[in-house]
Amino acid sequence: MTSSKLFIDYFMQYVKTRLQYRSDFLVQMVTDIMFQAVNLVFILVVFSHTTQLSSWSREEVIFIYGYFLVPFSIFAAFFNLWEFNERYIIKGELDRVLTRPVHSLFQVMMETMTPESLSGAVTGLAVMGWAAWEMELDFYWYDPLFFILFILGGAAVYGGLYIMLTSISLFSDSKTDIQPIMYNIGNYGRYPIDIYNKVIQIVLTWLMPFAFVGFYPASFLLHDERWLTFAMFTPVMGLIWFSLGVLVWNLGIKNYRGAGS
Amino acid sequence: MYSIEAQGLTKDFKIVQSREGMKGAFRDLFDRQYRTIRAVDEIDLRINPGEIVGYIGENGAGKSTTIKMLTGILQPTSGDLKVNGYDPHGEREQFVKTIGVVFGQRSQLWWDLAVRESFRLLKKLYSIPDEDYHRHLNRLTEVLEMGPLLEQPVRKLSLGQRMRCELAAALIHQPRLLFLDEPTIGLDVLVKENIRRFLKQINEEYGTTILLTTHDLSDIEALSHRVVMLDKGKIIYNGGLPELSKQWGGGPRLYLELKEEWALSALQDFTKDISAEWQHIEGRCYRVGLTGPDPSVSEVLSRVVPHASIKEIRIEEAKTEDIVRRIYQEGVPHA
Repeated sequence: MTSSKLFIDYFMQYVKTRLQYRSDFLVQMVTDIMFQAVNLVFILVVFSHTTQLSSWSREEVIFIYGYFLVPFSIFAAFFNLWEFNERYIIKGELDRVLTRPVHSLFQVMMETMTPESLSGAVTGLAVMGWAAWEMELDFYWYDPLFFILFILGGAAVYGGLYIMLTSISLFSDSKTDIQPIMYNIGNYGRYPIDIYNKVIQIVLTWLMPFAFVGFYPASFLLHDERWLTFAMFTPVMGLIWFSLGVLVWNLGIKNYRGAGS
Repeated sequence: MYSIEAQGLTKDFKIVQSREGMKGAFRDLFDRQYRTIRAVDEIDLRINPGEIVGYIGENGAGKSTTIKMLTGILQPTSGDLKVNGYDPHGEREQFVKTIGVVFGQRSQLWWDLAVRESFRLLKKLYSIPDEDYHRHLNRLTEVLEMGPLLEQPVRKLSLGQRMRCELAAALIHQPRLLFLDEPTIGLDVLVKENIRRFLKQINEEYGTTILLTTHDLSDIEALSHRVVMLDKGKIIYNGGLPELSKQWGGGPRLYLELKEEWALSALQDFTKDISAEWQHIEGRCYRVGLTGPDPSVSEVLSRVVPHASIKEIRIEEAKTEDIVRRIYQEGVPHA
C-alpha cells in the first residue's frame, strides 16, 4: 500500500523533472516515436523475406516478436539498473539510499525508472495486433487475463535476473561486462524455441529463462498447446526469479562495503 | 538508555592484493591474495541523549567507517551496537526513521527537483503526518532562512544554501539523533557560524543528540561537549576539549625579541627549574614553549628580565589544532 503510494509520488516527481526541461522532453518524445516506428518497419522488412521459420509462419513469428516487446518494455522502464555501479557504488549514492526507511532496491528502482520506455509496449501491441489480424486469430475471453499475468511474469523474470547481475556490484566494486552479454542473450527469447538445439532450449528455459519472457506465453496466445505447461508456469517463474533477485540483493547489502570518502 | 552504545565494535575489510606486472596480473586472475584491514578496532563508545560529541581523527583513521556502521549503512564485523535502541543494520528500515544524516560531501537531496519537492518526497518516505510536516517545515524554513530557496532546483543552489537545505532535510522527520559528516566543509566563515548556531539551537530546543566528524576543530570547540579522537581504528582520547589541551601540554607560547643576541644555553639556564622550552628562531628572536603543569608567562619573564633586556613580547595561546596535530605526529604519550 505505502509502496504503491510512494511509487506514484516518485512517478509524479519524475514527470515534473522531465517537464522542467521542456525542449528535452519534446525531443525525447519525438525520438521515442521515431525509434519505435523504425523498429516496426525493421521487423516487417526483415520478416517479409522469410515466409517460414521452422514450422512457424511469418505472422506467428512476428506475433511472438511483438509480444516480447511488451514485458521487455516494462522491464526496461522499471529496471533501469545499467548505471548502478557507476552512480550508486562509485559515486556513493547508495549510502544515501541506505539511510532512508524504505527498501533499498525499491528506492533505486524508483530513482532510475524511465517510464517513457513503456512506449515500446505500444509498438509491441501494434505488431501483435497486425499479426493477429493477418492470421485471423481469435481470442478467448480469458486471453487478456492470461496476457496480463504473462507480461508481469516475463518482466519479473527479466527483472530478477538483472537484479542479480546488478547485485554483483555490491560484492565487488570492479566493473563487470556481464550485463550487455545477458542483454544480447535475452533477444533469443524472441524466437520460437524449437528452432534451437536441445542445449540452448534448456538454457533458455532454466538457466537464463528468457523463453518465459517471449516464446512460451506467446505460444499460448497463439493457441499452440505444445508448450501449455511452460506457458502456465510463466507467472511462477517470474515469482521465483524475482525473489531470487531480491534475495541476492539483500545479501549484497549485507556485504556492502561503502564508498570510500 | 544511551543514544549510542557500542562495545567492541569492529569492522574488517578484505582487500585484494594485486601482484606486480603482467605476470602478476595473470596470477591474480586465478589465485587471489587477500589482506584483511581492520578499519575500526574494538571501539567502546557511549553517548547520552542530548550530547553533542565531536568525532575526530586523521583521514583513514576509521571515522567514516564508524559513522557508516552507526547509521546502518555497513554491517559491523563484530561487536555489540545499539543506536536509539536498535540494531542499525539489522533493523535498518525501522531504525533510520529515528536518525538524521548529513554527509557534507554528498547531497541528500534530489539534484533536479525544487527544494520543496525534495522535502515533499522525504515526507512521503518517512510517512510524516501532514500537520507535523507543515509545522516543522515552517519552523526550519524560518530558522534556516530557506524561504527564498524552496522553489529553486537543488543544482542551482550555492554550497552554503545547499547545506542549509541538507540540514533541514535531515531534520524534517524530527530525529532524536543527528549524524553530521563534515557539515561545514568548504563553507565560508559566516555560513559556518550560522550553521553552528542552528545546531546548538536544535540541540537545546529538541534535545537532539549530535555526533559530528570534522576537520575543522573550531566546529568542535564551538559545539561539542565531548571529543572522541580516533587513530588507526582505536579511540585514543575520549573526554572534554579543555582537558585534551591540558593533558597534552598545550601551554601558551611566548615570543621574545631581545635587545642583543644570547646563547640558547644561557637563556635555558635562567629557567632551569621550570619547564620552559627555549628555541632560537632567528637573530635576536626566541620562542619559549610552556609545557609543564602551569608554568606562567610572568614566571618566565621574571627570570629573564634581570639579565637580558627585552624589546618585544608576544604571547600566543595554544590552539587545539596544534595540540591535535602534535598528537598525530608524535603519537599518544600515555594511552
